[in-house]
Amino acid sequence: MSLEERELEVLIGPQHPASGHMRLVAKIDGDIVVELRPNIGYVHRSVEKLAEVKKYLQIIPLVERPSLADTTANNLAYVMAVEKLLGIEPPPRAQYLRTLLAEINRIHSHFYGMGIHGVMIGSSTAYMWCFGDREPLIELAQELTGARLTYSYIVPGGVRRDLPQGFEDKVERVMRYLENRMPDYFDIYFNNPVTRARLEGVGVLTKEDAIKLGVTGPNLRASGVPYDVRKAEPYAAYPELDFDVITEEAGDAFARVMVRVREIQESIKIIRQVLKNIPDGPILDEKYMKMIPPNLRKQVEETGHIKFPGVFANLRVPAGEAVARVEGGRGEVVFHIISDGKMSPYRMRMVTPSFRNVILFEHLTKGARVADIPAIYGSLDYFPPEADR
Amino acid sequence: MVCALEGSMWVGNLEKAARKAAAWLVNKTPIRSLRDWGIAFSLWPVHFTTACCGAEFGASAAPKFDTERFGFLPFIASRQCNVLFIEGTLSKKMAEAAIWVYEQMPDPKFVVAMGACGIDGGIFWNSYNIVRPKDILPVHVYIPGCPPRPEAVAQAIIMLQRKIRKGELVTYEV
Ligand code: SF4
Repeated sequence: MSLEERELEVLIGPQHPASGHMRLVAKIDGDIVVELRPNIGYVHRSVEKLAEVKKYLQIIPLVERPSLADTTANNLAYVMAVEKLLGIEPPPRAQYLRTLLAEINRIHSHFYGMGIHGVMIGSSTAYMWCFGDREPLIELAQELTGARLTYSYIVPGGVRRDLPQGFEDKVERVMRYLENRMPDYFDIYFNNPVTRARLEGVGVLTKEDAIKLGVTGPNLRASGVPYDVRKAEPYAAYPELDFDVITEEAGDAFARVMVRVREIQESIKIIRQVLKNIPDGPILDEKYMKMIPPNLRKQVEETGHIKFPGVFANLRVPAGEAVARVEGGRGEVVFHIISDGKMSPYRMRMVTPSFRNVILFEHLTKGARVADIPAIYGSLDYFPPEADR
Repeated sequence: MVCALEGSMWVGNLEKAARKAAAWLVNKTPIRSLRDWGIAFSLWPVHFTTACCGAEFGASAAPKFDTERFGFLPFIASRQCNVLFIEGTLSKKMAEAAIWVYEQMPDPKFVVAMGACGIDGGIFWNSYNIVRPKDILPVHVYIPGCPPRPEAVAQAIIMLQRKIRKGELVTYEV
């Protein structure tokens, strides 16, 4: 290297202290990043291609795997697209239960993102607290669905299980715990001078750029664009619920974290409303309920656990195209299904928020300092398996 | 090499002999158990996330499950670690990196494959872009599940410790 060549190329990853599975190719001049290109594809597992050989119900667990911390969004968006093709509308109680799980999932997905961000900027306390406070919510979801992260709770026509007994009280206890806990986070982490110094004014995304680059989710709202699919194209029980779209004006790393924190508070509000307003009634579409054999149907009514009717194994979906979108924890999830009337889709396209946000790595780090890379990386809540699919 | 020690003369390679003696001593029971006990409680996995199982691996290092009480501390640099945790699917691109990381780690080193994907591809068994860890690395412990619960991760650590303390995995040769 001659003296004239000031720029140095540094390869960061794929084994690096942050949450891994991607490589960052950085060109640096002293302490300044000239260019940073993410090298993705380390977790590409061909979900879209595999969907073409799996049956419709088998695809539900498959589409959940790419974003393990936020499975409900993918599950819901996929099932909504299938339902559009089938032409069925789930009963109102199922809609509320879907919303309930989606919001529980949103909270623990945000905690996951904040915890990883904390460890990236060197605050192990944030990691420990966020991951610890994630557990009560996972316990709730586990009681409702039977799994810690991979719920597969939402099926075409409804949901798999009814509310367990005494669930409302448990939810209320967790929500109260979270509300009392939030001030501690501000004392120890968010208002900590070190956190402020590392996050404020770092990686600023202006409103115009955010719209131009097609950014989505909390990263978009942190730049002052009030766009949320739950409001823009309401689905499930959201039209009947009262909640705000959270925005921040600053557009820096700190604003992105703050949007997540305030969304947690908003989700608590939604969960309370869901449990207050939830209507009685069936949790699976009548058409499918009728197909359950009579002796099993009695058991379903007693336990609230759906025994799948045989038709689900070989579910055939009429030919056609459908698109469904959902606001997940990280942003907008879109599913596009093309069916030719066979047992598997002809083509399934999934658009995930992480892939749409990956462009920010290049955009936000230009001219930043090397030490700001993890602060920016973490604030995007980027989940590589979701982007690579 | 020839050494003279107080009048008598010893013939042979002193360095080689010393190494042989040390290996013999280290593989003898009291020292050997002490050594294996030490290794069993200083398992440091390298921070190498390969796929979605990483979410549950993260949860197992967090307060509720706290695998650190087994001396299991996730660490950054591969040159200071002795456990390679394959957290789920290995894509072809990632497998290359996994081999590099494994080669950088100092001996004795262990490999744990996590998740159904780590065993035989799991839900992605017929994908065109995956590699089975057992084809490229010597795997010592498998954890079934998709994703395995954090308790299962703890169980795997205990299993690995047991294997080490039985003296199956670590030997010193001259
Ligand atoms: S075993 Fe399941 S959770 Fe783990 S990497 Fe494979 S698909 Fe993901």
